Amino acid sequence: MNPFPPENALEFRAVSKLYGERAVLDRLDLAIPSGSVVGLLGKNGAGKTTLLRCALGLAKPQHGTVTILGEPAWTLSASAKQYLGYVPQTPQLYPWMRVAHLLDYTGSFYRRWNGALVRQLAADWRLPLNQRAGTLSVGEAQKLTLVMALGHEPDLLILDEPVASLDPSARREFLKVVLEIAAGGNRTVLFSTHITSDLERVADRVAILQNGKISFFGELGELKDQIKRLRLVSVNTFPERFDMPGILTQRIQGKQALVTTRLVTPEMLDRLETDWHATVEVEDLNLEEIFLELHDE
Amino acid sequence: MAADFLFQVFPNSGLPIYRQLIDQVRHHVASGRVKPGDFLPSVRQVALELEVNHMTVSKAYSLLERDGVVELVRGQGMRVAPRPAASENGSVRERQEKLLPLLRQVAAEAYQLNLSTAQVKSLIDRVLKELDQS
Repeated sequence: MNPFPPENALEFRAVSKLYGERAVLDRLDLAIPSGSVVGLLGKNGAGKTTLLRCALGLAKPQHGTVTILGEPAWTLSASAKQYLGYVPQTPQLYPWMRVAHLLDYTGSFYRRWNGALVRQLAADWRLPLNQRAGTLSVGEAQKLTLVMALGHEPDLLILDEPVASLDPSARREFLKVVLEIAAGGNRTVLFSTHITSDLERVADRVAILQNGKISFFGELGELKDQIKRLRLVSVNTFPERFDMPGILTQRIQGKQALVTTRLVTPEMLDRLETDWHATVEVEDLNLEEIFLELHDE
Repeated sequence: MAADFLFQVFPNSGLPIYRQLIDQVRHHVASGRVKPGDFLPSVRQVALELEVNHMTVSKAYSLLERDGVVELVRGQGMRVAPRPAASENGSVRERQEKLLPLLRQVAAEAYQLNLSTAQVKSLIDRVLKELDQS
């Protein structure tokens, strides 16, 4: 492990990535502290893969800077790459190589390669060591790619939809591995997903990618503390729309209203209660509900 | 002595996991199931068992420590703190103030459910009695 890890394992500053006219990333800022486990959430086509590829120097943004493990991503040194692990969405394997051979081959590129860990994971995940990579199922290929990315115990592990093709039990085992990495302390994990329940367990932070920008980055608990749904009932009829800062969505029907707000404050509740003679009930939302509300503006 | 209870979390709930943990500790302390001097299981243990991020558990523990529910004993872990003397927690008036927002919510719900004052009071009596007995 790098004895002097940078404060942020990964930093995006005003990064724009355009494909033709379309800005997939639009002056995006993001700083991921070393030692955190971050879930990157976004709709299909929001640019999650593009963000990860820019992080790794596999795609070059037109504007802004990306710094990974203290170095510019685009000109990453070979030694910095020793501390990086990456699992792409579509595994890239040499189809003619047998699994065992592929693992040894990968290990030969790294100064530190934990053969015991690799054998353990391969056994836990029942990887067919003597089979050729080209004959593996999609799930097996994904597991193999994961083992290849974990073998050198990277300081920063970047995973693009790592569990998309795993069955529930393999997914659970994989999440356990990520949790063990996290418990070790100094390792950083960034993974994109659209399975919010996995993220709720494993991640200590969540980044939401929306319209080319990070619309929220912070602790998951913080997000749940901030975004609430208010259920209002009044003796009077509500207006057609509430005009208050922070409102994400509102559904109003006569004397009843359902309002989701980005930042619930006691003042806001007081105002609603006194202005509209309403009783206000505050409801908690889970990550999936929050995600849907954020994309329903 | 280690406290003998298990946490249970629902990651998909709208209540953040760290809050679920805090609520459960407070609940067990209030009910007497966990006594002053008992130790909470270690952060690592809880994280592994529940399969949740260890930062989430340590956040819950440090908030419990901040609120004086538990205290950190170097090298041993989190110990349930002695129950503060009533006066340490502020005057009766101050402590009542803390309860007021929750009661307002109860009152509003009771109104919507069309429950009478006496009916609500009898429920509160019952809940308090349950707490006393356990």
